Amino acid sequence: MENIEKTNLSGKNTRTRILEAFVHHVLETGQEPVSVYKFAQSLQMREQEFYTFYTSFQGVKGGVWESIFEQTLTDMLAQEAYAHYSPKEKLLSFYFTCIEELKKNRSYLLALYEKQPDFKKVTPQEVQSFKNKYLAFAKTLVQEGKETEQIANRKYISDKYPEVLWLETLFIFQFWLKDTSPGFERTDAAIEKSVNLFFDVIGRNAVDSFFDFAKFLYQSK
Amino acid sequence: MSHTPEEQDHIPTSKVQRATKFLGAGAKVGGNYIKHYAKKIVNPSLSKEELHEHNAQDIYTSLSQLKGSALKVAQMMSMDKTMLPGAYQDKFTMAQYSAPPLSYPLVVRTFQKAFGRTPEAMFDTFSPSAVNAASIGQVHKATKDGKTFAVKVQYPDVAESVSSDLRMVRPFAYRLLNMNEKEMDHYMDEVEEKLLEETDYELEVQRSQEIATACRHLPHLNFPNYYPALSTARIITMDWLEGAHLKEWLQNNPTQEDRNQIGQALWDFYHHQVHHLKQVHADPHPGNFIIQEGVTLGIIDFGCVKVIPEDFYRGYFSLIKKESLLNEAQLNQIFFDLDFISDRDTPAEQAYFKGVFKEMIALLGRPFHSETFDFAQDSYFQQIYTLGDRISKDKMFRQSRQARGSRHGLFINRTYFGLYSLLNQLGAHISTTKPMWLA
Repeated sequence: MENIEKTNLSGKNTRTRILEAFVHHVLETGQEPVSVYKFAQSLQMREQEFYTFYTSFQGVKGGVWESIFEQTLTDMLAQEAYAHYSPKEKLLSFYFTCIEELKKNRSYLLALYEKQPDFKKVTPQEVQSFKNKYLAFAKTLVQEGKETEQIANRKYISDKYPEVLWLETLFIFQFWLKDTSPGFERTDAAIEKSVNLFFDVIGRNAVDSFFDFAKFLYQSK
Repeated sequence: MSHTPEEQDHIPTSKVQRATKFLGAGAKVGGNYIKHYAKKIVNPSLSKEELHEHNAQDIYTSLSQLKGSALKVAQMMSMDKTMLPGAYQDKFTMAQYSAPPLSYPLVVRTFQKAFGRTPEAMFDTFSPSAVNAASIGQVHKATKDGKTFAVKVQYPDVAESVSSDLRMVRPFAYRLLNMNEKEMDHYMDEVEEKLLEETDYELEVQRSQEIATACRHLPHLNFPNYYPALSTARIITMDWLEGAHLKEWLQNNPTQEDRNQIGQALWDFYHHQVHHLKQVHADPHPGNFIIQEGVTLGIIDFGCVKVIPEDFYRGYFSLIKKESLLNEAQLNQIFFDLDFISDRDTPAEQAYFKGVFKEMIALLGRPFHSETFDFAQDSYFQQIYTLGDRISKDKMFRQSRQARGSRHGLFINRTYFGLYSLLNQLGAHISTTKPMWLA
């Protein structure tokens, strides 16, 4: 396989090759390669060639995350029903598809993150590109939700929703890492419940009426 | 003992203290008791109704937030009308109708996990929202090749959480039913076993087919076909039965003949299951029946099936003989066999409970004592409730901490309570058949 590819190295292929080899190495040994030098050697590649694509293993891990996101998006948009979904259903669909994608890489992710006590502490660089793409996705959802009035427009606060959703994503990921139920059913339930809660909170509810009333009282003093 | 208020005998302080450790309703119920006793010191005339009302409210609020088995337990308790005071019943019957629906993406995911395909790929049409809610799942309507199907999808994680939910329900149940834990566990195990069975959709398909085949010859009954190839542990596909739910049908003022016909079909269905198949659809909830054209009774949902052990069957159904036909020794033997009374009872208790059970049996067995019975007479049901109420308020009964009755009786009683209450709603006048050996 590798020999055939080597004869015709386009940038994209090398990128994928690096990602695959890195995942493979983590899967086989349970840890990251010792050095970029060693790793490049195993790929029959010069070290400086590696650096044209990634500057460190951090970057490679980020690349794996990015590809998980891309694949999730592709799979999700391929579903016929997706176009008719409400923002809430779109978010649910994203998480369910994402968990499916993560499942394919579970051993790799466990090897890297199982011992992490808190995923938020993972170097931001590693998930930066995943996060940025996710935030952009979340932003369109929030926008759509506001237009259809499923999300209450609250000054300053509603701008923070994508960030809040990112925390939810981290929560779900950690929940899934620790999940031992058959077919990760508990994660399914966790997704369903947490998304329901989020949309209940950000929809127009008692809090809005309370502030509206408080404002009214203040102004009529 | 007789100097302290009667309730003090039943709720030791340690229990109240322990209750406050439970989250949510557990703590609240404990709190309500404390509040109740505090108020009672000031105002001794305070009624227990008020406390029940508070407790039911809090328990209901918490239970309605739990999915699955807790809801099911609530339903089950709400069906045993004589077991619970009025206030609990009203709240728990509400539990039967409130369950947040599964989102469509989760339905899609369940399909993909089970079949590797989306519902749209498997059917020509598939309703994105549920057309009906069941306590551990929901029903979608689908079509394919001109046929209409009902597809039942289970909530995720139900089977897993049954046991843990029950552990949460136990403390309420001890207090609600005023039983000690050991005795209660005897019943709870039976409930748990049945609940776990209900989460097994493969078993449900198998049993539905068995019972449907065995009962198809009975007049005015209809069963859907089941499709094992389109069913899994979490999904059941069956024929969509066109028709109206019992409650809707009754609103359109059907004729007395039609109501009798449906009532008779219902009676025959249960008669055949209990006395011939020795296994019974133990969930006679109005939502599980559909009235169809030509006035036939469509039967759906075989989630809860109780297999009746032979020795229990003999003893239990001997009791429906008229009292005069059983002599004292036979009756005693049956009462012992069915755990209504035991060696641990004092002679006074034995005499008291024998009297109580005789009275109950005479009343509940009444439909069997004549060739036909008119279930429309509300006075009969009023008598049952009055008796139940009187017994549950009786000091002797309340102070006994023993569980009474065989565990098998739990679901059989529930089945007959459900059946009687359905027949009452129908206002049906039917011929009440008995098995040959009792005739």
